[in-house]
Amino acid sequence: MVRFKSRYLLCEVCVSDQSSLQLLDDRTVFSAVKAAVCHAHGDYGAALCSLSFAVKYLNAHTGVVFLRCRKSHYRLIWSALPFITSLESRGQRVPCFFNCLHIGGTIRTCQKFLIRYNTQQLHRMLRHCHTEAERLEVRRAVMSCSLKSRGKEEEEEEEEFEEEEEEWGEVV
Amino acid sequence: MAVFIDLNISHTTDKKRLQDIIETAAHLGFSTVAINHVVDLQQKKQEIGKPKSVSELFDQFPIVQGKSRPIKVLNRLTVVVSEASHFRPTNEFKSYDIIAVFPKTEKLFHAACMSFDVDIICIAVTEKQPFHFKRPPVNGAIDRGVFFEISYVPAIKDSTMRRYTISNALSLMETCKGKNVIVSSGAEKPLELRGPYDIANLGLLFGLSEGDAKAAVSTNCRAVLLHGETRKTALGIIHTMKKIQPTMEGQEEDNAPAVKRAKMEAV
Repeated sequence: MVRFKSRYLLCEVCVSDQSSLQLLDDRTVFSAVKAAVCHAHGDYGAALCSLSFAVKYLNAHTGVVFLRCRKSHYRLIWSALPFITSLESRGQRVPCFFNCLHIGGTIRTCQKFLIRYNTQQLHRMLRHCHTEAERLEVRRAVMSCSLKSRGKEEEEEEEEFEEEEEEWGEVV
Repeated sequence: MAVFIDLNISHTTDKKRLQDIIETAAHLGFSTVAINHVVDLQQKKQEIGKPKSVSELFDQFPIVQGKSRPIKVLNRLTVVVSEASHFRPTNEFKSYDIIAVFPKTEKLFHAACMSFDVDIICIAVTEKQPFHFKRPPVNGAIDRGVFFEISYVPAIKDSTMRRYTISNALSLMETCKGKNVIVSSGAEKPLELRGPYDIANLGLLFGLSEGDAKAAVSTNCRAVLLHGETRKTALGIIHTMKKIQPTMEGQEEDNAPAVKRAKMEAV
């Protein structure tokens, strides 16, 4: 059996106002990326984009998006991402930009990277804490996503992941 | 991980916005940014002033993503020349870390490549390039270690600008073959910045190869910084510094070392 190889683009949606991230959903991101590719690369790009292109995961708290596309032409789709300036969702226009964090061949490597990245974010946040309670909360979150406790099953990982991010959302 | 540098952040008098841009740049992983002061000498009353000290911007500079060091902020001057008399190095130039020039005609482009004492030559991105890039001046610039700059923000903002940017970039790449090119932002708002890896990939549209595109946001920019630094020294070999002497109480510190250094250099 030959499998189709894909590339997963792990992107971060950066907005000026954190609360507007809640408006995001899969469909919005999908149509925005598709429109950008069509605009930048014309019909050829649109054709490539319809081939196994999907939004695999979206986190509305942190604005992290997983995009999947074929390995053979991921650069073409990636080169259109910088031209996205806003997302249209529920009648509202959210100005934003996509920042590519990682390119991976499997979801697993991307997830590993994302956990490391989010831990890093929590460390950065620690500096900006003002009260002792906040600081404790962030420290606890950092501890909870240490690599040791992760492991065996993906389900478990997912859960922990969610937890950590919820805390992040709270702190923000 | 390489060190990423963005050498073109538009200067605004709005301090808050400038802070926002620099914070976003730090979040994206840029370890050095340069604030760009543009001077167009064709318009009257335009004067080259001294830049504000960067330490006034922040009490505490934001930490760069993935590093533990704070972001470094520099000052850059861009002179738009449409006549040869416009470019006259003065003492004000010395207070900027990087000097760039934006030639409007072919003659000036030739002069900028061959003789002007600058670090960066800007390439037009908002209009069709009015002249062709010729091999001799471009090669001369490469030999002297002067870099060509393409800024990508107009391409993001507008579709026609995108066409101009890409066509001008491609015509430059035909002559310089991807050497000595830097890609920088020219951002006026925080949301116009892009991540370093995205920019490197954007280089593919500009006709750069993978390695050249990555060098355009990292090592080439570093070369520009070093080139700028050599202007303050004697041939890049000798650097004079004022020795900080233990001063008595009440004795005034001489706070014009830059001018003094300039005099010593001239000797």
